[in-house]
Amino acid sequence: MSGLGPALLNSLEMGLLLFVIAVGLNIVFGVLNIINFAHGALYMLGAYFGYTLISILGLPFWIALLTAPLGVAIIAVLIDRLMLRFIYDRDIADSLLLTFAIMLIISESVRSIYGSNIQAVYPPAILDGTVSLLGSPYPIYSLFVIAMGLIILAGLWYLFNRTRVGKIMRAAALDRDMAEALCINTRMVVTGVFAFGAWLAGVGGVIAAPMRTIDPGMGEKIIIESFIIVVIGGLGSFPGALIGALILGAIYGFGGRYFPEFNLLLPFLGMALVLLFKPTGIMGKGANA
Amino acid sequence: MKQFNAKNLMVSTVTAATLSLGTGNAMAEEPIRFGAIYILSGSAATYGEFAQRGIDLAVEEINDSGGILQRQVEVLYEDSQGKAATAIQAARKLAYQDNVDALLGLDSSGVAQGMVPTVPELQKPFIITHAATPDVTGNLCNEFTYRISVNVPQNQKAAAMIAAETDAKRWTTIGPDYAFGHQTWEYFGNYLKEMKPEVELMEQTAFPRFGAEDFTPFINGIMDADPEGIIISTWGGDLVNFIRQANNLGFFDQGYEVMFTVGAATEVLDALGDQMPEGVWLSTRYWYDAYDNEANTRFVEAYLDEYGSAPSYNSEGAYAAIYAYKQAMEAAGTTDGPAVAKALSGMTMEAPNGTVTFRPGDHQAMVSPNWGISGPMHPEHGIRTLTDIRVFDPEEVARPVEETGCTL
Amino acid sequence: MKQNILTGVLLAVIALLVALPWFAPYFYIFVFTEILILGLFAVSFNLIFGFTGMLSFGHAAYFGMGAYTTAMLLLHLDWPLLYTLVAAMALSGLLALVIGFFCVRLSEVYFAMLTLAFGMMVFTIAHSWRDVTNGSDGIAGFRISEFGLGLDLVMGNPAVYYHVTLAIVVIAALVLYVISRSSFGLILKAIRQNPERVAFCGLNVRSYRLASFVIAGIFAGLAGALMAPFLRVASPELMHWSLSAEPVLMSILGGTGYFMGPFVGAALFVLLETWITSYTGAWMLFLGIVLALMVMFFRKGVLGTFLDWWMNKND
Repeated sequence: MSGLGPALLNSLEMGLLLFVIAVGLNIVFGVLNIINFAHGALYMLGAYFGYTLISILGLPFWIALLTAPLGVAIIAVLIDRLMLRFIYDRDIADSLLLTFAIMLIISESVRSIYGSNIQAVYPPAILDGTVSLLGSPYPIYSLFVIAMGLIILAGLWYLFNRTRVGKIMRAAALDRDMAEALCINTRMVVTGVFAFGAWLAGVGGVIAAPMRTIDPGMGEKIIIESFIIVVIGGLGSFPGALIGALILGAIYGFGGRYFPEFNLLLPFLGMALVLLFKPTGIMGKGANA
Repeated sequence: MKQFNAKNLMVSTVTAATLSLGTGNAMAEEPIRFGAIYILSGSAATYGEFAQRGIDLAVEEINDSGGILQRQVEVLYEDSQGKAATAIQAARKLAYQDNVDALLGLDSSGVAQGMVPTVPELQKPFIITHAATPDVTGNLCNEFTYRISVNVPQNQKAAAMIAAETDAKRWTTIGPDYAFGHQTWEYFGNYLKEMKPEVELMEQTAFPRFGAEDFTPFINGIMDADPEGIIISTWGGDLVNFIRQANNLGFFDQGYEVMFTVGAATEVLDALGDQMPEGVWLSTRYWYDAYDNEANTRFVEAYLDEYGSAPSYNSEGAYAAIYAYKQAMEAAGTTDGPAVAKALSGMTMEAPNGTVTFRPGDHQAMVSPNWGISGPMHPEHGIRTLTDIRVFDPEEVARPVEETGCTL
Repeated sequence: MKQNILTGVLLAVIALLVALPWFAPYFYIFVFTEILILGLFAVSFNLIFGFTGMLSFGHAAYFGMGAYTTAMLLLHLDWPLLYTLVAAMALSGLLALVIGFFCVRLSEVYFAMLTLAFGMMVFTIAHSWRDVTNGSDGIAGFRISEFGLGLDLVMGNPAVYYHVTLAIVVIAALVLYVISRSSFGLILKAIRQNPERVAFCGLNVRSYRLASFVIAGIFAGLAGALMAPFLRVASPELMHWSLSAEPVLMSILGGTGYFMGPFVGAALFVLLETWITSYTGAWMLFLGIVLALMVMFFRKGVLGTFLDWWMNKND
């Protein structure tokens, strides 16, 4: 089992990238009670904005990392104000359907603007190449992804536990009416949280751009993975998103390596197993049946 | 015709005028319609776009030089969405509603598998220009269906011939986890074992799901198993991901014989640029630089002129299919579906990829797979060149008709 | 009075459907065969969504199960079509029983997610078990030699297949209608509105949910069983989650509150797709916009919005 080290790092890398994306989905669910089917499309937008800035306009990767997710957040504000606000008080099914429609609209718009060619972005020179880790070559960019995942993890933890904004978000998630009674402008909070979730998806998209090909279908692939993660970890739970993402990362990293013939089945099997024994996910609150 | 008009003239000049106008119009103005079914939306839409480019080019050339049977040509496109159900309904619509004279298309093997059995009902000839599954010119073959592109067995026979010449003894594969990936390995393995019984076909193979994005675990697994040769059938965006990740892991520095069955696809080379390693075997159904003939020179020049990039194999297949129909319709003297389908059988044509014959036994075109070793970057086209290009004899790489399971 | 008019309209529509092959362009035989099959699929879905209030995202599993059953029985055993349909309903119902047993314990979003997971597992099995299902290529190359019951029907003729489909779909829809109007159906509606209260009445909510889930699975299987001979292929794509999304869209489009809503939705969906793809490749974009507008402003669907307006008029 000489390959254990690389498999572990690889799982961590995939898990943390998935965490950055899935945690946005969970934060949005926690506060808005909306399952955002379009979350993957927002990730794809982040990648395309990154591609536009880096490969078309020739700007440095770091500028793209700072600005592209903001662009995604702005689009999210528009989506929230123009569309989502009509369905805040409705069933969860309605939000799934509306965001499904939004996903179709975003994906097909991107395809008609950028075409469906396979696009590639190159990592900045400083992150290009490999280092030797645990006896095997390991891409520097993958280490950067792990670092970014950890930074965002720490940042989110700080936000939720140490800042006023984070506390307001948690309050709104717990009981929106009560928050309103305490003079919190929940409408602003709701829009802000949705934009923040989209920003995270956008960050994920820019980070993924130099390691994955960019095409209009990439959002559809990631959304199902994100669903699996939040379901395994627990819907609306911040630590749940981390645990779910790490589990899925491990399923891919180790499963792909040691059980390649089951690589299609394993993620869904994992999801079904968790739901059977703990329907609300590993970190989910209480029974919901 | 003259007599007919003269006769009518005596009865009524008005009727005669309308009649002759009517028939005359039908001959001169009613265009010949082709129905083309490709993936035009979703993540594989780039393949549909390439096919469209090839078809539009052929139609433009044909219309500029007098059309087919003195009639202009037009093409109706339908989106298969990569789904069999959609493609089948699209074919029915094109045949019954739009009254097209002939059909062509299909990017995906699964779609082809579903659609081919429905073709005889339509009574229209159908040329497959991309999908490579052996069955459509095998046990599912029928009198209306033809394929102009290279199929899996043809390409894998060629691959095995190259593999047999190398020193590599232990072979494995990496390919997408669906029929194409598995069939590639089966045909390659069988042919190679036949030619060189001492090779070992390894137990450890890797079939990442189509669209997997992260291939690192699979690459690591294969490297651990320490093969000597690897046949890789991953394609499209997956292949771009695969190669970038394999580069990072030093996969290409291990001294393996590496063969990519769809590696010389221009959309992949475009996206990769110089990240495509040098010195690996790349194949494609058609490599634009592999053929020195008039049809190819004209096609490549026209394509570069129109679209500014080297032509993709999918453009060539679609382009050649339109010319195949032109020749068959002119030979049959009609656009009648069954007659054109019949004319295609056994027909030989000059296509960009050489002299192509539609074998009567299974309707598979006898075409030549091409393989080459990736070389320096092309100074103008921005993609890797192929060196040591091998163009295989179609007769040598094709399955004997008896083995196809087709009884035509 | 208005009820009678509605019944009259429905009968007139059925009469028009029966006569369709004699007046409509040939291609529309195929379009309407597809509408009927997908309509039945959507109506079966709406039994759990519209009536019982559970959003299943894995309904294509039963549809695909039906399709594979028919395709394999025709290919390997050459059964008469009618028998394969019965077998397809039985096997799909069994699959729904197994999956439903686990899923109906959960509510709302967890139910949607678990049905999605199971649906994709079934898809994966069909996709990967190459020895039995022929993998991603699916089962093709089968033919129908006879319908069954000694009826001498030329099943290869699209018009005949259309009439067979029409007859079966009408019968199936009637059965589903009777079920939805029975006391059982009323309890399902009550569960959607207030499951606690139904439980207080001493009824086992979970069993009722499971029963509706299985019935929906059986009829989805029937729809799938009709689809395979129509397409000449049963492939894993018939089980993919994107196909599970179709009855959801159709139900929303037509209206989930009325029994016929999903049929209307299926008709609109298929006709719009047929027409729009002739003019532009942007069918998905159009679908997205229409769906968004429907969800935001016309949640009752086309049929629901119209009927509500019409029923309240002059009253």
